[in-house]
Amino acid sequence: MFTDGINPLIIFFASILTSNMILSNFLGMCSYISISGEYKTASSLGKSVTLVMVFTTILNFGVYKLIIVPLGLEYLQYILFIIIIAATVQIIEMAMDRLLPDLHVKLGIFLPLITVNCAILGTTLFMVIRDYNFVQSLLFGLGSGLGWWLAISALAAIREQMAKTKLPKGLEGPGIAFIITGIMALAFIGFSGIFTIT
Amino acid sequence: MKNSYVYTVVFMLVVSAVFTLLLAGANSFYKPKIEENELLAERTAILYVFDIDQSGSAAEVLKRFDDNIKDTELSGISLYEYSEQGETIAYAVPFTGAGLWGSISGYLGVSPELDEITGLVFTSHSETPGLGGRIDELEYKEQYRGLVIDAGSKLAYGEDGGGQIDAITGATSTSNAVLKILNELLDETISRLEVA
Amino acid sequence: MAETIKEVISRNVWKENQGLRQILGICSSLAVTNLMTNSMVMGLGLTFVTAFSSLTISLLRNAIPHRIRMIVQTLIIASYVILVDIFLQANFTDISKALGPYVGLIITNCIIMGRAEAFAQKNTPVLSMLDGLFAGVGYTIVLLIIAFFRELLGFGTLFGFDVNFIGFETWTIMVMAPAAFFLIGTLIWITSNIFAPGKSKK
Repeated sequence: MFTDGINPLIIFFASILTSNMILSNFLGMCSYISISGEYKTASSLGKSVTLVMVFTTILNFGVYKLIIVPLGLEYLQYILFIIIIAATVQIIEMAMDRLLPDLHVKLGIFLPLITVNCAILGTTLFMVIRDYNFVQSLLFGLGSGLGWWLAISALAAIREQMAKTKLPKGLEGPGIAFIITGIMALAFIGFSGIFTIT
Repeated sequence: MKNSYVYTVVFMLVVSAVFTLLLAGANSFYKPKIEENELLAERTAILYVFDIDQSGSAAEVLKRFDDNIKDTELSGISLYEYSEQGETIAYAVPFTGAGLWGSISGYLGVSPELDEITGLVFTSHSETPGLGGRIDELEYKEQYRGLVIDAGSKLAYGEDGGGQIDAITGATSTSNAVLKILNELLDETISRLEVA
Repeated sequence: MAETIKEVISRNVWKENQGLRQILGICSSLAVTNLMTNSMVMGLGLTFVTAFSSLTISLLRNAIPHRIRMIVQTLIIASYVILVDIFLQANFTDISKALGPYVGLIITNCIIMGRAEAFAQKNTPVLSMLDGLFAGVGYTIVLLIIAFFRELLGFGTLFGFDVNFIGFETWTIMVMAPAAFFLIGTLIWITSNIFAPGKSKK
């Protein structure tokens, strides 16, 4: 049940920098490309994703260890995970509306979008398949969320500046967004020397 | 009618029930086959470590396994032994260690004198497909076959290791993780085996 | 007005290709495009799921209560994805192991939900199934184009067969993530020039 060996802190930093959900796992691309036109919006979306990511990772970890494994329901795990994610998003939205109305006004519109964000389900599935323990899962969820936030904010900031330049025909919008992402991914490879697992 | 609560709840229950039944059916239909595949994969992997022919039907492979290999224990470590006419040809020692993302498990085959690697195989890992996942490819695994090991020295890639094994391009971290697992295995487990 | 079958095919495979024109569903599959075999399996899996979930949703379109539409759709999609997963585990153990969590991620592929919402809800079952089928085919073609360049230049192989006859030095970068972004960006650039020459979108 517990994999020793991989230091949770390494998982945390690796999931932000070297194995970023977007830049090296391609997860959560849809909203990443479509909502990165403006820095402020993108950053809000990033915050919401981080929040949902942490909660769903904790909940899905519990569901997996306490329900799915003991009852031998592995074959239904995808359904259970996605339902938990959808429910978590609903609950966070309602709780936020009650407790933090200001934040809800800012982030509320993004929450429903997050249910179908691949990065969220991806984090859960990676956690299960890599057999992380609780601490590892928690830091993996947090790191993946922060990494997603970092990537979308960076792209949005670059695209805001890009709006002032003239681009070749047909490359405006998603085309250039992908090319920029490619360059960002290249830059992030530079971080790979920071952590060594040996 | 269509938007009443009762209808909504009943509809949801019926849809869930139908699909759960469908999946449970598919699962129990395929389960024996999946388990059989897993057993076959494990046995084929062990045959590979010993460089025994792994071709043929499932029944042939399983028979070849039963004929040549037995599950045994040596110095408190459970492992597989390959013997012919009562003479040990090699041991397959299981290992599990931390990869880049999750644990990597497999078997390392060593000669009875513990001075040569007969083969290396991975049975489960969660490395990135197409990158670290390429440790499963023959090109990587075959490098280890026949590698001479002496007590005290460590396996290394490229020039440091005498140019016999190379890391996987683009997957340095996974390659290093594998080497670390193997060196620990050689150091802490295999060197402890008391061979007759 | 209902589309003819021919229109459905040409729209999905070419004019409104989901991957390139709609920028949908990039997420889950791009990661496996460094090998053509894996891309093919992911593409076929996605095509199967899209076709059958569109069919099912279209059959149930008059019965699904509006307010739980999304959750019912998700349930249907997830069920088909699990079927694909079980099928791969039973019959193609190696590929299933290599793809790992990416099969499960087909659930969140926006194309499937997109086709369900945009087409299957309003059209007849057979047409919806064809729509889903060809949306998947169009997407598979995009994956294969990207995988073709990545595998050829990155490994010197195609579908695992060595085709590096002239012995060129393979480009490691093609195997890694950035290359996929550059390739898809370039493909989008080319296709948007074909479809909207002179007119810039956004």
